[in-house]
Amino acid sequence: MNGLNHMLEIKNLYARIAEIEVINDLNLTIKEGEIAAIMGPNGSGKSTLSYILAGRENYEVKSGNILYNGQSILEMDVAERAILGIFLAFQYPVEIPGVAMMEFLKTAMNAQRKARGELELKIPEFLKHVKAVAAKLEMDISMLKRPLNVGFSGGEKKRAEILQMTLLEPKLCVLDETDSGLDVDALKIVADGVNALRAADRSFLVITHYQRLLDYIVPDTVHVLYKGRIVKSGDKSLALYLEQNGYTDIIGEVT
Amino acid sequence: MIAGQKTILTQAEAKIIDNFAVLKGEMAQRGLLLEAARKAAMDSFCKNGFPSKQMESWHYTDMRTKLIHIASCNNTKADRLLAFPLLPNNIVLGLINGQAVVSPEMKWKKEMLCATPLDKLLTNSQAELPQDFADDNVIAQINTAFVSNGWKLDILENVSLDKIIELQNIQNGGQSHVRFPVTVGKNANVTIIERQSGNNEDSFISSVSNLDTAEGSQVLWIIIRERGLMSSELNQFNAQLGKNVVLKLYVIHTGSHFLRQEINVNLNGIGADFQLREINLLSGKTHTDTTMVVRHLAENTTSKEIIRNVAMDRACGVFQGIIQVVKEAKKTDAHMVCNSLILSDKAEFYTKPQLEIFAEDVSCGHGATVSEIDHDQLFYLMARGIPEVKARAILVEAFFRELIEELDKEKLRKVLWRLLDECLQAHI
Amino acid sequence: MPATQETIRQVRKIDVDQYKYGFETKIETEKAPKGLNKEIIRFISRQKQEPEWMLEWRLQAYHRWLQMQEPRWARLSYDEIDFQDYYYYAAPKNQTWLKSLDEVDSEILATYQKLGIPLKEQEILAGVRKQNEASELDDSLYASGGVAVDAVFDSVSIVTTFKKELARLGIIFCSISEAIREHSELVKKYLGSVVPRADNFYAALNSAVFTDGSFIYVPKDIRCPMELSTYFRINERNTGQFERTLIIVDEGSYVSYLEGCTAPQRDENQIHAAVVELVALKNSEIKYSTVQNWYPGDKEGRGGVYNFVTKRGDCRGDHSKISWTQVETGSAITWKYPSCLLRGDSSRGEFYSIAVSNGHQQIDSGTKMIHLGKNTSSRVVSKGISAGFSDNTYRGQVMAHRRAANARNFTQCDSLLIGNNCGAHTIPYIEAKNATAQFEHEATTSKISEDHLFYVMQRGLLKEEAIALIVNGFVKEVIQVLPMEFSVEAQKLIGISLEGSVG
Repeated sequence: MNGLNHMLEIKNLYARIAEIEVINDLNLTIKEGEIAAIMGPNGSGKSTLSYILAGRENYEVKSGNILYNGQSILEMDVAERAILGIFLAFQYPVEIPGVAMMEFLKTAMNAQRKARGELELKIPEFLKHVKAVAAKLEMDISMLKRPLNVGFSGGEKKRAEILQMTLLEPKLCVLDETDSGLDVDALKIVADGVNALRAADRSFLVITHYQRLLDYIVPDTVHVLYKGRIVKSGDKSLALYLEQNGYTDIIGEVT
Repeated sequence: MIAGQKTILTQAEAKIIDNFAVLKGEMAQRGLLLEAARKAAMDSFCKNGFPSKQMESWHYTDMRTKLIHIASCNNTKADRLLAFPLLPNNIVLGLINGQAVVSPEMKWKKEMLCATPLDKLLTNSQAELPQDFADDNVIAQINTAFVSNGWKLDILENVSLDKIIELQNIQNGGQSHVRFPVTVGKNANVTIIERQSGNNEDSFISSVSNLDTAEGSQVLWIIIRERGLMSSELNQFNAQLGKNVVLKLYVIHTGSHFLRQEINVNLNGIGADFQLREINLLSGKTHTDTTMVVRHLAENTTSKEIIRNVAMDRACGVFQGIIQVVKEAKKTDAHMVCNSLILSDKAEFYTKPQLEIFAEDVSCGHGATVSEIDHDQLFYLMARGIPEVKARAILVEAFFRELIEELDKEKLRKVLWRLLDECLQAHI
Repeated sequence: MPATQETIRQVRKIDVDQYKYGFETKIETEKAPKGLNKEIIRFISRQKQEPEWMLEWRLQAYHRWLQMQEPRWARLSYDEIDFQDYYYYAAPKNQTWLKSLDEVDSEILATYQKLGIPLKEQEILAGVRKQNEASELDDSLYASGGVAVDAVFDSVSIVTTFKKELARLGIIFCSISEAIREHSELVKKYLGSVVPRADNFYAALNSAVFTDGSFIYVPKDIRCPMELSTYFRINERNTGQFERTLIIVDEGSYVSYLEGCTAPQRDENQIHAAVVELVALKNSEIKYSTVQNWYPGDKEGRGGVYNFVTKRGDCRGDHSKISWTQVETGSAITWKYPSCLLRGDSSRGEFYSIAVSNGHQQIDSGTKMIHLGKNTSSRVVSKGISAGFSDNTYRGQVMAHRRAANARNFTQCDSLLIGNNCGAHTIPYIEAKNATAQFEHEATTSKISEDHLFYVMQRGLLKEEAIALIVNGFVKEVIQVLPMEFSVEAQKLIGISLEGSVG
């Protein structure tokens, strides 16, 4: 089902934060419709990669390039990238007291629609849509009345991320350790939410420490990230191999 | 020259002393009494002048350099129009350029509430004035010397007033010095809004509210200040809390050239509780000082003060807060938090949160932060496609909204938010 | 928990208001006449054989002092001080210009021994060598973990140990009097450059009459291999001690300095007005630790040292760092705000403090962190414990200048009250003048939690032991940053200071 178009191409990327090298000559290509998984031990640069894709400040790209649908996104700010369809599901979504969840969803959706030249959503249809998606994710409607992520449990926060992802209909979904802090039931619900979004014109970059998530979101390709670069790539079987054997021997090959 | 007078006066100090010479006669003509008190107050002012920063309670507000201009004491004839009440059913008691005004259709039950314009009481010396002319209490000095009007309110025992009392102090140019003595009877429950407003004309106001509460009463008091950038105001809110009294004070400040807001709350009765939520939206080239003293004088008293400030443009903000706990006030629980966002490199904010604790069995604390907008939050919002400018605005709003959300009266909450939102839209 | 056990044992052993260091050394003393005037200043300068410029400097300070007012803004109450009623110079007879330790009066040696301060280098080395592995430095020098001491007795420095060894690395460690004579250029360049002569009333007084103190210069790229320390002792009656310390650490270097002080038990109030100046150049670091244990006065509040101190460090170079750690248990009055001027970009200031007040002691102490350079950061941790009839105030200022982009401060200041006749106060001044400053300040005041006390006592500890244990936990964060030599000592001291506070 993967298209031939490259949705994301990371070429010889070097990046640093606070003068420390975090990404060293990273190369990665994701095709349209592809689900790519990034695995790696703690501290290998997985979350860093997701931040760099989203355009977080203080992450300084020294050289190389990131092409999204053939266009370099390095000069774009965070919101511009989001509007182009890059969505980051955060490992640790921040709590923002004083910002109502619904208000936030409406603002974000309308900001994106406006940038695409679409009309703003009408309130009733917006409400209906949000409620339907929330129901699918088995989210308590009362959560939507609370301030953004405030007082949400770890699992609730992750669901809220998938809710946003569904509503914003991005093209490239970056899932940063979405499985962390979830029990099996919650994991299934979240994975179902993700799987429902699979489409020929939508790609996923699934970052995870454990292979468990990949039982539910089956990847086309698996890449091992270590010391800021991809040290091994393969298919789904690579994840299973890692689960049984750990990272040691693959890392050993490299070092 | 008056004996004991300071030898070198600033222009503003001299003007106040001159004004007194002029207005003294005028007030006497109107039959406003209290000459002795006025003279004592003025003597104290002459001796001390404006406080300078050497005075610890004025450390960040050197009035001698911050208040350099005093508006004329000749009040122009203002159009006698009250502002629309914030909520349609509010009982509006107004002062327009110092004149007591009440709309004719305004009705309330005499057995619940007594409201009398202060000038009526001043003419037969029924008004009581506090006599605290401590060296640093320049507000009491000026206000007592010049007070000419206000509203005296008495909320009677066991009355639960569902209508909100709205005190409007409107000053369109000129000067006025007003006072609101308020008593709240046993187990009474009342909401009072003190609206300090005015246009862009040059004005100078002093306003002193004295709230005295009896056992078991509950008061929600909201000070809303929306004055023009040519206005200077000295405001003092003094409250005495009896046994099990709950006082919630909201202060929402969005404008004026110079402001000193003093808040003095004494928790005299066992079980009294004081809650302060203050919002300062500071812009332009202005100076805003909130100085608060909360005294825990009895056992099991509690207080929580949250002050949130946003400083923009060339605004300078000050918060000084003292929580005092005397030896007898065992089991006091008192916490104060002051958070400031500085949004411009030319804006400044000074915080001095103090604890003075003399009792052993207490839990007291204060927190203060000064920061930029939270980068993690900004990143999160922008990662959802919200442009930076909008995302920043959302976060500033959220910073204030949290305090407003705490109000349990929904209509009031909405109207306060609308008010604040208008100011935010204008500035951010 | 050995330290806790130790504390408890100490507490038990010592009688209620017995100050351990309250003994007096009987020794003949040379004194200047009582009082303060230009003649006394000339006398001091002459005694010290100072160059002319130094006398001139002192006289100018005196001139300014005469025009100044005693500061009264602190939360301290005491009778007016009659500055003419003190001796400004007192020196043990025949104890100046000593060539070796053998010439030191045996009474003085005995005094320092009693105080637990070793002055004989051999002894120190012997103690250290046992556990010390071979060092790459010269064997005879080596004393990593050893301490070089400058011992100041009333107005004079008696002896400075390990001088020669340090000199081999180019480190100058001597009394300030000697530095004024021998390293005149360095002193001239830096003296008063951090705390100007007329900075405040007490600094001006000190500048006029300072008698001794320590001088340290660490040259470029040297990590001073041992702790340097000064031990101050006021012995003589009615004597003011005006110590002056100047520490300069050149680019890329490091020094850790310890300061200790005690005084005999006396009914009248002794006065101590010190000035300490630190200069940290590019990439250098100074760690300054104090255990202040001047005589605090008796149970009724009679006597005790008045301690008015101006301590300031100047992070003059980029990436420099100054760290103050203080354990304040002594003195009747403490007025002390060790500060950092964060002038260099990316410089860092730290202040860790434990202030214990008991009896009728009054403490008004804290710090100033003045952020001037870009990307500067500071951290303040203050733990105040009040007991008895004492008053304990933390007063601290954190300021970010308009150009100090990205200034960061974190302040934590906690007070603990023991008993119902004492006071604990917190007065922070938080001043932000730019949009990128990030300050975080937290303060709490509480008593020892009944729950904690119950828990610990349920495990079999007596109330006094339980309190000692909890107090040690309360101050742990600060104890941890003290050099090893001091941390055990400090914990003991805190226990002793709180003696008798449990009702």
